[in-house]
Amino acid sequence: MSSNIAALADEGRVEIDHVSIRFTSKKGDHLALAETRLQLEPGTFTALIGPSGCGKSTLLNALAGFVEPTAGQIRIDGRPVDGPGPNVGVVFQQYALFPWFTALGNVKFALQRFGLGKTELHERAMAALAEVGLETQADKFPGQLSGGMKQRVGIARTLAYEPKVLLMDEPFGALDAQTRREMHDLLLRVWEKHKATVLFVTHDVDEALLLADHVHVLSRAPGRIIRSYDLSASRPRAISRDFPDLLDTREEILALLKPEPAEDRGDVASVS
Amino acid sequence: MVDIRETSAAGGASSRRVVPRLPALVAGVMGSVASPLISFVIVLAIWSLVSALKVVPDAIFPSPWSVASAFAEMMENGVFFSDLGISVSRAATGFVIGASLGVAMGVLTGRVAVIRTVLNPFMTLLRPIPAIALVPVAIVWFGIGEGSKYFVISYTVFLTVWFNTHHGMEYIPDIYLRASQSLGASRLREFFQVVIPAAAPHIFAGIRLGVALAFLSLVAAELSGASSGIGYRLQESRQYIRTDRMFALLIELGVLGAIVDTIVHRIGKRIVHWQQS
Repeated sequence: MSSNIAALADEGRVEIDHVSIRFTSKKGDHLALAETRLQLEPGTFTALIGPSGCGKSTLLNALAGFVEPTAGQIRIDGRPVDGPGPNVGVVFQQYALFPWFTALGNVKFALQRFGLGKTELHERAMAALAEVGLETQADKFPGQLSGGMKQRVGIARTLAYEPKVLLMDEPFGALDAQTRREMHDLLLRVWEKHKATVLFVTHDVDEALLLADHVHVLSRAPGRIIRSYDLSASRPRAISRDFPDLLDTREEILALLKPEPAEDRGDVASVS
Repeated sequence: MVDIRETSAAGGASSRRVVPRLPALVAGVMGSVASPLISFVIVLAIWSLVSALKVVPDAIFPSPWSVASAFAEMMENGVFFSDLGISVSRAATGFVIGASLGVAMGVLTGRVAVIRTVLNPFMTLLRPIPAIALVPVAIVWFGIGEGSKYFVISYTVFLTVWFNTHHGMEYIPDIYLRASQSLGASRLREFFQVVIPAAAPHIFAGIRLGVALAFLSLVAAELSGASSGIGYRLQESRQYIRTDRMFALLIELGVLGAIVDTIVHRIGKRIVHWQQS
């Protein structure tokens, strides 16, 4: 296992090189993401935080290969991203599980590209489910699972094929506070094991502070990075007096995200 | 009854067992059998009452008893089963032809942009034409034999199944396609394992409508130029002014349609089992 990690340790470098993204529709042009430069080191955990509609999900979609940057280039381990690829895994906010497959079937779907034998396919899929504690639910359909379990299947499905870069788009946004805490623990546990480079999009400041090595705050649309923080506190963390630095950073970020008076208050209310 | 499902929201994987609750089960059975039974009894009672009052002569508005004896008469001389057999086989043949072509066409227009551009205007133009309007054309093309019946029925079924399949194929939620692409599925695998299942609820909705339309257009096809079948028997009853038989035949059509629809619905629910809402 340790040799495996060492081999992976210098893979999964993400370079976002002067990327901007503009959408053109009948109503006209709309700059979703202003010019952004960012580098994610292999095995690090980075959170992007910003008000809704600021372009953080757009950036993530560009990394996933779903959206093409209007200008600039995204490279993973030096290779330009030109579409969804096997090195990148995506965990979606709406889970995006296929409801016509069981939990196991969903994980198997992700492994089918490797042309494994029947037994190995089954074993690897079961191992991925076991990693998120769902081996007993393998034959359940997504409709029979709670939100937290669905997202655990989503994580298992993505991690099953060991992507070097893991993109997560507000993955726990729809979950209640208690489930969300459990998911944080689970995510940190599997991340420490797989050591993928994680980009985690959220609008929850506490979530970013609990999980990430690096936090980048985006401005309102068109989004650009207005402040970056490096967090060195050891995990597991808590937003409490035990971690005074985190509390200070939290205050700063909340102040940054505060609405300018009279300008779309509703937008930012969801942040605080 | 204690609802144990509520208490273990997050952690309790194993305790999330669904216990069938007896009152709910009884209520379900009662609901599916008892309530239609009650409404039949009420309608039958009103019907008997109205015909007993003799406001309208029995020859025009038959009583339930004369309808029942017309039924018995048709059973006895064998017309009932021979008509039923021939009508069901016409509807089934027309349905199978129409539904398979409809699904194939819907897949093509739903997923291939060129074909969609060429054919969609026709879908809009053809849909408002009722089945009965096709009967004269069908007779000229296929004669008064079985061919013209199959044509009318399969054409009607085809249009509906095409439209619904097309709709389901065209609007596959983007999130499924993105997930499939990011999980490395080939185009072929994406089509069979993602696109088709995602469209399946729409395809089945079309098939269910198609079954209903197969019976509607069956009667249209049989009303002109047939010498057997339920629709023909209706026409024949008109010539002898046998309203009791007409009522019996109409009831037969209704019951037949309801039974087939229930079966198709059940099968659909089993295949598209993940569709909850």
